[in-house]
Amino acid sequence: MTIRVLSPDVASQISAGEVIERPASVVKELVENALDAGARSISITIQDAGKRLIEVADDGSGIPAEELELSVTRHATSKLVEAHELFQITSLGFRGEALASIASVSRLSLTSRVEQGKTAARLKVDGGKTGKVESTGAPRGTVVNVQDLFYNVPARLKFLKSDSTERRVIDSLVTRYALAYPNVRIKFSVDSTVTLQTTGDGDRRSILSALYGAESATQMLDVLAEETSMKLYGFISPLSLTRSNRRDIAFFVNGRWIQDIPLSTALVQAYHTLLMVGRYPLASLFLEIAPEQVDVNVHPAKAEIRFREPDKVFSFVQRAARRALLAYSPVPQVSQPNWGQTWSQTDPGWILAHPEDHPLDRAPQVPNSYPAASPSGVQVTGSNLAQSEFAQIPLLRLIGQVGATYLVAEGPDGLYLIDQHAAHERILFEKIIDQHASSKVASQVLLAPVVLDLSGSQASLLQENLEVLGQLGFVIEEFGPASFQIRAVPVIFNSSNASAAIRAVVEDFEEDETPLKSEIELRLAGRVCKGMAVKAGQVLSIEEQKNLLSNLEACRSPRTCPHGRPTMIHLSVDLLEKQFGRRGPR
Amino acid sequence: MKVTVLQENLSRGVNIVSRAVSPRSTLPVLGNILMATDDGRLRLSATNLEMGITCWIAARIEGEGSTTVPARTLSDLVNTLPVDNVQLNLDARTQNLNVRCGTTNADIKCIDAQDFPPMPSIDLDGAVQLNVAEFKEMIQQVTFAASTDEARPVLMGVLLTVDKDNVTMAAADGFRLSVRKATLATHTQRPFNLIIPARALNELARVATEGEEPVYMAVPKGRNQVIFRYKDVEVTSQLIDGSFPDYQQIIPRSFKSRTLVSTAALVKACKQAEIFAREGMNVARLDIRQAKGEMQPSEVEISAVSEETGKNETIVEATVDGTGLLIAFNVKFLREALEVIRTPNVVLETSAPNAPGVVKPVGDDSFLHVIMPMHV
Repeated sequence: MTIRVLSPDVASQISAGEVIERPASVVKELVENALDAGARSISITIQDAGKRLIEVADDGSGIPAEELELSVTRHATSKLVEAHELFQITSLGFRGEALASIASVSRLSLTSRVEQGKTAARLKVDGGKTGKVESTGAPRGTVVNVQDLFYNVPARLKFLKSDSTERRVIDSLVTRYALAYPNVRIKFSVDSTVTLQTTGDGDRRSILSALYGAESATQMLDVLAEETSMKLYGFISPLSLTRSNRRDIAFFVNGRWIQDIPLSTALVQAYHTLLMVGRYPLASLFLEIAPEQVDVNVHPAKAEIRFREPDKVFSFVQRAARRALLAYSPVPQVSQPNWGQTWSQTDPGWILAHPEDHPLDRAPQVPNSYPAASPSGVQVTGSNLAQSEFAQIPLLRLIGQVGATYLVAEGPDGLYLIDQHAAHERILFEKIIDQHASSKVASQVLLAPVVLDLSGSQASLLQENLEVLGQLGFVIEEFGPASFQIRAVPVIFNSSNASAAIRAVVEDFEEDETPLKSEIELRLAGRVCKGMAVKAGQVLSIEEQKNLLSNLEACRSPRTCPHGRPTMIHLSVDLLEKQFGRRGPR
Repeated sequence: MKVTVLQENLSRGVNIVSRAVSPRSTLPVLGNILMATDDGRLRLSATNLEMGITCWIAARIEGEGSTTVPARTLSDLVNTLPVDNVQLNLDARTQNLNVRCGTTNADIKCIDAQDFPPMPSIDLDGAVQLNVAEFKEMIQQVTFAASTDEARPVLMGVLLTVDKDNVTMAAADGFRLSVRKATLATHTQRPFNLIIPARALNELARVATEGEEPVYMAVPKGRNQVIFRYKDVEVTSQLIDGSFPDYQQIIPRSFKSRTLVSTAALVKACKQAEIFAREGMNVARLDIRQAKGEMQPSEVEISAVSEETGKNETIVEATVDGTGLLIAFNVKFLREALEVIRTPNVVLETSAPNAPGVVKPVGDDSFLHVIMPMHV
């Protein structure tokens, strides 16, 4: 085989593959271009899940006719001139690859008129072969029309997922950008049906319902926190609203949608011990940070970024989310549809509250036609907030025990049902955690030292933290360049594998957490459960019940048991009145 | 199949083999007991594919045949039958087993015996003969130190080494090591070693009641299995693949302090310390003190502290050779080791607070236990 320089065609298709991997990537690049052009209104149209047509029309600044030809060549951009600007990027794009990449794998037509231009100009590019610039009539702004995507890369076409999957990816992408830019009017049409239309009036909550469904959207909690050079705002789900995966956690950094695992881990950490195992929150969070603090030029599609001070950012996100969560998060409300039979299927509010029953195209109008079906969720959080800033429960007056399992108590804002087992678990758990924190560390020497081989980065991380590990009860010696010898482990780990324990610690260091905190808590929680807490079905005397309540009041997070199940359910006065027909349903 | 057996024999056999039944298996036949006529006796077998147990019971055979019977149903039924002759009659076409005893008449739905995994049989030629009582003691002195952590399967087993007329068993988890030696009645030509799951050995110890007959052990070639035979019972186990750590390296060659105490007194002191230690980290401190004066005894103080419950100290009289020492152990480990020692006195050899301790029975060098200290 002889070595040859690739032909420009092949080379451009290869590099297009990095940026454009599926129709959604085209939509992303074009929408970002439109936003960078200062558009106030963007209209996105797709046909056949974007395989036949993707058209993005905006009313932005447009491209002058004489620059059209240049715009579809690689590394041509108006957004960046000097290399040092790379570190202060304020626009979404900057690599100058998007249009060229799209053009090389599709039939592209670019129509644009600038404010001062008398006529618009149109340029057609067919699989990377640039045609002639023609004059035509069009409103101000740019229309990019992408037809037959991947027609010249059949392999890529073959690897696309099903149409409905591709459509869903585009849909969630557009919705997320709509959420990030509430001041831009965004219209999204799929096969000539409008599925999303935002008003551009800056109201994010109304767009939220398009993303999560109306019922979930009304429950979402606001987050707003500011620090020097950083600002975080957006929405996170309350404890009662969870998913089984992290797919609904979205982060926007300086208006750019990114997929950053440490960031979402930081958020999930904020829910630590409050959610059940394997459940994840929903979130759309917007982080604004000084441009020089991030490096966006790490990934061709810019889905990943690097922070200059990642620890600072992660702990900021975690603290902000935790604060919002503890402040707002109420005791789970008894949801109205489950309470009594009055809320039948015929109630329009009830039907609307089910996202699967109403297609996305109606969602943006929902806030008008749908006067918040569960106002209690929001209102009660407000009233709770007034009483106590954090998750403390109000003073409760014991009424009695039900079914030898639940305690009934009255608070200032209604009735509380408390699960005696979960409540006792929480009390014991906090006590044990405190004890553990104050007790001396004991470590168990191993019969034969365990040798642990780590990757280079993990090894240096471990090396830096050997002292911290020593305080935890590990005795570790270096044993070659990236090898360590474990001589002793903390007693709490003595039933398990020493090297697995160290790996867990290194992962904690990587994710910037207090080392072993979660592992230790898990083990302690397991011990609490092993029969120390009162069981359901155990009759308690009045004194015991009172004592349980007052101990629960003193807990730091009394609302959930250590495994994340709720300790109590709240029936608000409001809800009781509605159920008894003292007040109208809404 | 048509056989008649005594209820007590059937009950005993079913109870023995039931230990190997795998109650939650995706293979329904593993929840059953194989019942087959075998050379004038009735053979019962059960297996969970890791371990299998077979038991032969006396029977009067009127018709040959075999089937597999649901273990729970069979054992619950048989255990409630009167002490009388039990007639077992299989309808081979419907796989229906009719059980008749006294006034009881039951029909059990069975699964065809062809579905049951084949069970290997022992070849007594070349089998190693072991003394029952001693072998049982070996198992008891060693298996408790095996690991229960599935992350290191090798340590869940017991290393059994046969060399000439010596047999050695060793087990270790990450923190302790138990080694027991014994002498064989017969000489073995070829030395070998096996890693046998601790669970299988414990089952064997349960089956092998004391008696004069030897336990036979055979390792069929190329099957990665070991088979034990005691009287009319055979226990088969898969062997654990892998190499057992070289435990000889771990056993300390020297010591600075040798403490001789009464086994019973030290066990009692450990049990008391454990009452307080179990709340926390199971730590007990041993303060080994030399005699202060000519006439005073040397002693060991065993103490434990709990944030929650309080603390205790127990002083045990001792004979200390060498320097005094303060050393901490996991008291559960120490107690478990002491409890399998049969001699009235025991010796604890130590060198430093961070060096392993060795527990040995006095006047018996067949057993030793290494236990790692704790740092506090």
